[in-house]
Amino acid sequence: MGLKLSLIQVGHLILLISEQIGGAAILLGQIFKRLIPPRFDALEFRKCLFSMGYKSLSIMIATAFVVGVILVIQSFVFVERYGMRSQLGWGAGFVIIRELGPVLLALMFSGRVGAFTTAELGTMTVTEQVDGLRCLAIDPISFLVVPRFLAMIISLASLTLIGNAVALVSASIMGEIMMDVDSHTFWSSLFSMLTAGDIFLSVTKSVLFGAIIAVNSCYFGLSTTGGAPGVGIAVNRTVVSSAVAVFVVDFFSTFVLG
Amino acid sequence: MIDLLDVRVSYSGQEALDGLSLHVSKGALLGVIGPGACGKSTMCRVIAGLVQPDSGEVFVNRCNFRTCSRHELQTMQRNIGVQFQNDALFEHLSVLDNVAYPLTRLTAMAPSEIEGRAMESLATVGLAGFENRLPNRLSGGQRRRVALARACITRPAILICDEPTAGLDPQTSRTILDMIAGIRYQTKSTVVVVSSDVVGLFSISSRIALVWNGKIIEEDSTTVIRQSERAEVQRFLDDARLPFAGWTWD
Ligand SMILES: Nc1ncnc2c1ncn2[C@@H]1O[C@H](COP(=O)(O)OP(=O)(O)O)[C@@H](O)[C@H]1O
Ligand SMILES: [Mg+2]
Repeated sequence: MGLKLSLIQVGHLILLISEQIGGAAILLGQIFKRLIPPRFDALEFRKCLFSMGYKSLSIMIATAFVVGVILVIQSFVFVERYGMRSQLGWGAGFVIIRELGPVLLALMFSGRVGAFTTAELGTMTVTEQVDGLRCLAIDPISFLVVPRFLAMIISLASLTLIGNAVALVSASIMGEIMMDVDSHTFWSSLFSMLTAGDIFLSVTKSVLFGAIIAVNSCYFGLSTTGGAPGVGIAVNRTVVSSAVAVFVVDFFSTFVLG
Repeated sequence: MIDLLDVRVSYSGQEALDGLSLHVSKGALLGVIGPGACGKSTMCRVIAGLVQPDSGEVFVNRCNFRTCSRHELQTMQRNIGVQFQNDALFEHLSVLDNVAYPLTRLTAMAPSEIEGRAMESLATVGLAGFENRLPNRLSGGQRRRVALARACITRPAILICDEPTAGLDPQTSRTILDMIAGIRYQTKSTVVVVSSDVVGLFSISSRIALVWNGKIIEEDSTTVIRQSERAEVQRFLDDARLPFAGWTWD
């Protein structure tokens, strides 16, 4: 009986996940349909860019700064044992630019911007504001979703570039304080080994993560049902599914793009 | 003006509208009554083109929603004002901007002209002086009136009000119904009002429809409905007459 019950639950879970992935994929298709040729609200786009990008700047810089510091603290043991002080810049850069920067900033972004977007669109849906728009023959996807989609991708990609730089600076400062690696050594080891491919990977990842967070948050927002409690559930689903999707896509993009 | 023929709508297998047919002629004010969850809101959404029926035909102004082009549908939709059950006010916009929103978005009118129209519309619903408030600083009745002002600012040919009186005290409820009647008189529009204020609704409507389990079981002029022998109709009228709505002797 217990086994049967849990099988049923697993089945329900699989159905739910399939429904969500399918719904998000349909939404992505609808977004692309409105991008070629571009049909979306420019004013809303600028507003989103401001609230999602500019307003996230401080929290993202703080996150990136801490990431750089912690990275150096954690690598202290290895660097000391193998006497790799001269390579600290390269090591930190490799990890930050290719992996930690995009992923951690995406998670932070999902918590701040993704959750907010779901709550915003979810509230608009359950209070019939979205229907109010449709009633005026305003397409909610061109008006609400596409501007958010573009703004999130652009914001996250730019914030990741900035965050990478901040994390490297904080890593170099920490390296100087903890391990006596002077900043010249740090930066020259970084720039001698860093390739355009590393930066490309970083930006590609952040664009993909931005798209995932955008589609997820808009999908869960617009499909919210059940009043105010429904909004809470939708936000929860956005944050969890975005995190899972970020890790999955991170794995594959690292694998494929090297 | 509005024709629904054998319309069926179901939400995940459960029938919300079960073969509903309705005719509303031009300039009429149709009052819609019915118990909770019988499909009144769904019917309003079908008329507004927000819900596609699973089967059946919807004609608004001789335009068939299923076969007409997207452009025609949009034009039609813009000619329908809807006041939603939850007010659907845009919380981040002031009262004035909320009311002006349809004109700002849909027309090329000058901002000053739009503002004039919005103020006029707010005055019609008795909310002059509230222009700059945010919706969350209004009472339930005031929110309803803002929603009503927004629904009729484009002077739509069809006005749909879904429960404009729900949760209001009897006096406010009556005021709002009277405002709707006034708007209809001014703009000569066709109006559909869903309300549980049966007495108020009878006093403003030209016809009454009773929705029951996803169908319209009775639709006629107020006088005929008043004299109807049907048990369901009688129950509704009795509820309205009794001091405590819903009270029965058995
Ligand atoms: N978006 C929806 N999803 C699922 N079921 C719905 C939805 N909207 C309405 N329903 C169901 O359809 C039925 C009719 O609802 P509704 O038209 O809102 O009734 P009324 O307005 O008369 O109270 C109800 O049983 C309700 O639960
Ligand atoms: Mg309703």
